[in-house]
Amino acid sequence: MMKIWMKILLGLLVIGIIAAFLVYKYVYNKQHPNYENIEASFTLNAQDLYQAFKINKDAGSVKYNGKVVALTGKLSKVETVDTIVTAVFVFSQGDFGDEGIRCTMLKKFNDAAKKLQPDGEVKIKGYCTGYNETDVILEKCSIINQ
Amino acid sequence: MRTNSLILVFVALMTFSAGAQKYITKTGQIKFYSEAPLEKIEAQTRQVKSVLDVATGRFVFQVLLKSFEFEKALMQEHFNENYVESDKYPSSTFRGKVTNIKDVNFDKDGLYDVFVEGKLTLHGDSCNVKEKGTFEIKQKQVTGKAKFIIKLADYKITIPGAVGNNISKTVEITVDVTLDKANL
Repeated sequence: MMKIWMKILLGLLVIGIIAAFLVYKYVYNKQHPNYENIEASFTLNAQDLYQAFKINKDAGSVKYNGKVVALTGKLSKVETVDTIVTAVFVFSQGDFGDEGIRCTMLKKFNDAAKKLQPDGEVKIKGYCTGYNETDVILEKCSIINQ
Repeated sequence: MRTNSLILVFVALMTFSAGAQKYITKTGQIKFYSEAPLEKIEAQTRQVKSVLDVATGRFVFQVLLKSFEFEKALMQEHFNENYVESDKYPSSTFRGKVTNIKDVNFDKDGLYDVFVEGKLTLHGDSCNVKEKGTFEIKQKQVTGKAKFIIKLADYKITIPGAVGNNISKTVEITVDVTLDKANL
């Protein structure tokens, strides 16, 4: 018959192994968020997001940086560089030419984005990484069917 | 005599237009890499904004730190929250110049060595950077490449004691930007 302390030790060992596995899977090796499925923290007009940063960069950064934002608005153009497809809302002109909101698409939405028509109304959701003095940057973007 | 004057005016105009020439990109790439006993840390972004002014050699880069992508989500979190503190300091910039810009013929395809000097700002601290890189001129595009090493301590980026020995104190930065002639 197994002694009681042996049972306790074995139990602790099993718990320890399970805990180590869970930490490895869900903490150390946790997956990147699936930005397509995350609910947007803010839904607003593209122009309003741009103005928020343009008027007060710091306040805009505190509110929107690191958040998933859904935008509606009239798209200006779609740019393709290598494998990067960027849907662009242009609101102003500056030293870098067009200024506005640049939405870099998730790869699975590249083809759909390329088919978007300039001047067409779109709804795009993405992860806001900030404002770089000329553009507000959204990454991991998906197109929301309206 | 009149022809000569016309040529002079033409040359002056050409010089002026060349002087105003800028090359820009908003999809440049920066990678960083550091190797340490426990693990290597690698990240990259394609959201680098850069402008090169051909007349003055002025060369500027800007990158949003939240744009850096890591293989592991946890590393990306630690990078943003503990190391570069991207909520407090959202971007990193380099402002400097190509000191030998006159050696580059932007109208002739080829590979040119360039020397870049300036200030790199990261985590609220600025340090002088002086590096050699290359410009490849090809079909009116300029591809600038450089590789250099920064010390985290120079930018007051501290590594928590518990992992201090497992994370390298230096980081290798690789810049790769393809700039297009700006139609401004």
